[in-house]
Amino acid sequence: MAIQREKIIADMSKVKAAANPDGLIPAFNVLVNQLPADFWNEFSRTMVDSVEPGVREAIEGLLVNAAHECGYHTGYGIITSKEWDAVVKPMVRSVEDILHGAFAVFTAWGWADAEIVDLVPGQRMVVRARDYYEADIAQAYPGNRAPRCMGYMVCGVSAAFMDLAYGGEYDPTGQRGLYTFHGRQTKGIERGDECGEFVIERSEA
Amino acid sequence: MENLILEHAFDAKRNRHYLNGHLVVMHCHHYASLFTQLALDARELVDGTRILQESAEDSFRCMLVEYFTRHQIHGVAERIDIGCKLYGAFGLGLLEVPSNESEGGEAVVRHSHLDEGWIRKWGTRQEAVNFITCGYVAALFAAAYDRPPKSFTVTETQSIVRGADRSVFQARTRQE
Repeated sequence: MAIQREKIIADMSKVKAAANPDGLIPAFNVLVNQLPADFWNEFSRTMVDSVEPGVREAIEGLLVNAAHECGYHTGYGIITSKEWDAVVKPMVRSVEDILHGAFAVFTAWGWADAEIVDLVPGQRMVVRARDYYEADIAQAYPGNRAPRCMGYMVCGVSAAFMDLAYGGEYDPTGQRGLYTFHGRQTKGIERGDECGEFVIERSEA
Repeated sequence: MENLILEHAFDAKRNRHYLNGHLVVMHCHHYASLFTQLALDARELVDGTRILQESAEDSFRCMLVEYFTRHQIHGVAERIDIGCKLYGAFGLGLLEVPSNESEGGEAVVRHSHLDEGWIRKWGTRQEAVNFITCGYVAALFAAAYDRPPKSFTVTETQSIVRGADRSVFQARTRQE
């Protein structure tokens, strides 16, 4: 059975993050929060725009890394969850199916309407996103156009999914398995492109 | 006290989730901790903790004010109560406001996404980390008292991440 992306999106978009009596949402082996997207965007944009150009790349790298670690740990929690077992696992026949399924869940949960468009197993992946909340950063700039690509979260999480697929056994400490891949954004809706494009490649040893 | 009304909506065309009309997104304690770490690490280059706090205040204040307006919540006590409940609905923890007046007050957090997440990830720390809640408390006080943004300065004076059994936040009218 091939991955049925639309069914996964329809089913997984109904999963709700409900807090316990302590106001916490323990789920998928992590503590989940459900905050306004403009909070995350505003912090990212202001941080990046507040530093000198020579430092900007380092700040952007740390924003991507934040998503990379988040995606690694939460991604593992997702693909080992009862929700995944119920909806996605029956469709999975290969590691590549897991990746396609993970991006369907990624879409269902509102991170990005993103899909793999090219995959060389174990080596390289290209992801395109028709929509993602980070693209809304453009609204803070004149002409609704950001001066650069700013899809840090999509970039980091996409690389994390490749870590989980091809980076070896999951390591909860992140000492092994994490950062075996890295991503770069080559197109961005926020800067006027028709989609976001993210190229994920194996990191140098 | 009022029940908190939460209206979830999913825009199937754009695959986006809304809570009470505001675009929301799920993230984990790793993400929140690493954003906070970035804000702290970048201090020599940029006032990252202020940016984190103010980004939180701006975003949460907008949501709170809209809620109070839409549901005709006019009393300060009712507004504070709703604000505490919304804090929990976000998954940020258990917030109480034992004392408040128009010039400031105190907020207590007995369970904290930021602190408990940080401890899970890295262990305890000598310095407070919950700048997002500082922003939330500033937003809540301003919205409760119909004050403009940035009306309150909020300082975390006791922290779960430092080993305390609860975090305490002091809000004071900002002196410019």
